[in-house]
Amino acid sequence: MKERAGLLAVVAVVLCLTPTSFIALPAVARTQDTQVALSPADKQVVAAFEGRVKEYVRLRDRLGAKLPKLSKDATPEQIEAHKKSFQDSVRAARVGAKPGDIFIPEAAALIRATIKDEFKGRDRAELRKTVLVESEIKGVPLRVNYPYPETQELLEMPPTLLLRLPQLPKQVKYRFVGRNMLLLDRENGLIVDYMLDALP
Amino acid sequence: MRRNLYSLLIAVLLFAGGLAPSSYSQSPARPAVSTGAPLKVALPVKDGSVRFAVIGDTGTGTKKQYEVAETMRRYRQVFPFEFVLMMGDNLYNGESAADYKNKFENVYRPLLDQQIKFYATLGNHDESNQRFYEYFNMNGQEYYRFKKGNVAFYSLNSNYMDKQQVEWLEGELAKDTSEWKIAYFHHPPYSSGGKHGSDTKLREVVEPIFLKYGVNAVFAGHEHFYERLKPQKGIYYFISGAGGKLREGDVRERSPLTDKAFDTDLSFMLLEVVGDQLYFQVISRTGETVDSGVIANQRKKAMTAAK
Repeated sequence: MKERAGLLAVVAVVLCLTPTSFIALPAVARTQDTQVALSPADKQVVAAFEGRVKEYVRLRDRLGAKLPKLSKDATPEQIEAHKKSFQDSVRAARVGAKPGDIFIPEAAALIRATIKDEFKGRDRAELRKTVLVESEIKGVPLRVNYPYPETQELLEMPPTLLLRLPQLPKQVKYRFVGRNMLLLDRENGLIVDYMLDALP
Repeated sequence: MRRNLYSLLIAVLLFAGGLAPSSYSQSPARPAVSTGAPLKVALPVKDGSVRFAVIGDTGTGTKKQYEVAETMRRYRQVFPFEFVLMMGDNLYNGESAADYKNKFENVYRPLLDQQIKFYATLGNHDESNQRFYEYFNMNGQEYYRFKKGNVAFYSLNSNYMDKQQVEWLEGELAKDTSEWKIAYFHHPPYSSGGKHGSDTKLREVVEPIFLKYGVNAVFAGHEHFYERLKPQKGIYYFISGAGGKLREGDVRERSPLTDKAFDTDLSFMLLEVVGDQLYFQVISRTGETVDSGVIANQRKKAMTAAK
């Protein structure tokens, strides 16, 4: 018992003397911790949300595969044409899509709580300033299956928040528009879904 | 009388055409600009060195962007840089085929014709599809690495620093044995800008990784000025976000972060890596040198000091 206490004391001293760069947990490790900390009920919510995201991704991948593939050295005309065709086919396939199809109420509540927890005090004030004041986003339609206007900027998503939110496949992204959050297709630019008042 | 009227009409049309913004967007012709300052190169221009330029926040298609491009072209005659890093906001207010041409291709045509490669990163005004664009050399990726000589370059997507990207960055840096590691992306982890300022949330995630794996220098844009920050935790940070837009007077006075700043005109950077030295020169739209210097490779310096 004494030996164990001594060992712990040595470990504690070593940790105190170690430069912080060595003991600082990488961001990824923090994410894993966060995910581990989810309650079983929250895990179910995340799984349901991720399942719906994957369902959309499967659909858009299937539709995208029918289009001519965009090369890695495409011309502007090819990029423009590809985006338009991709939008048309996804919009046609999701004609009945409505808000909340993916951001189901339970997932939206969890995301709101995560954002609230991540941004406290000054951090939250700064984020609000960024999304509400600094951003030049005006005229972004809050409409599912509509394209995000390419003339509007895309606000940076705070990395510390991204590491805590349910992870998304690379085909889609979270985006703030004012206090609301969008789920955006990164290639065809369509608003896949949105949730209101994500930012408290 | 009628002939005089026709002459007057033609003169008016020509004059109006010359002033219209579309004259820049439709014609790749070089504007007559006052970029006549004598060329002064503060870089060694050594054989075998890695020579490149940095521009940021360029995509306006305005006369001033053309003027910066023209000054870059002139400087390339005396400092033959091989490629250009782009700090994002490559296309403002639209991403149509015409926008790519008017705000990039036509502007930098003289450099593109000299086979100068541009390596872009995405800004908050850029759509992800730019990663497919032939002249941005992103190879279909939002974040990527490439190597020139003894320098590894990491182009990151600071709009969306998610878990996948963080894991990729750590994985690549962990196995990278390059002498120099340079990261560049749009949002500055440190900044004295009045409008935006330091991106502390981004810094919280990327800086520990940079420190752990020995990234030497970081370049960013977003702020529409030039700033050389005081080294932070041993890393050199630069902001070069005035390649096409200027936020005049935006650098906070007496900022404790600033080593040198320039916010009264557009600018770009020229850089040269010679062994364990990184030389830099910052040039204004009109060709004046507004900053220059050299930094030593921190790891080499530490190793030498330890001996």
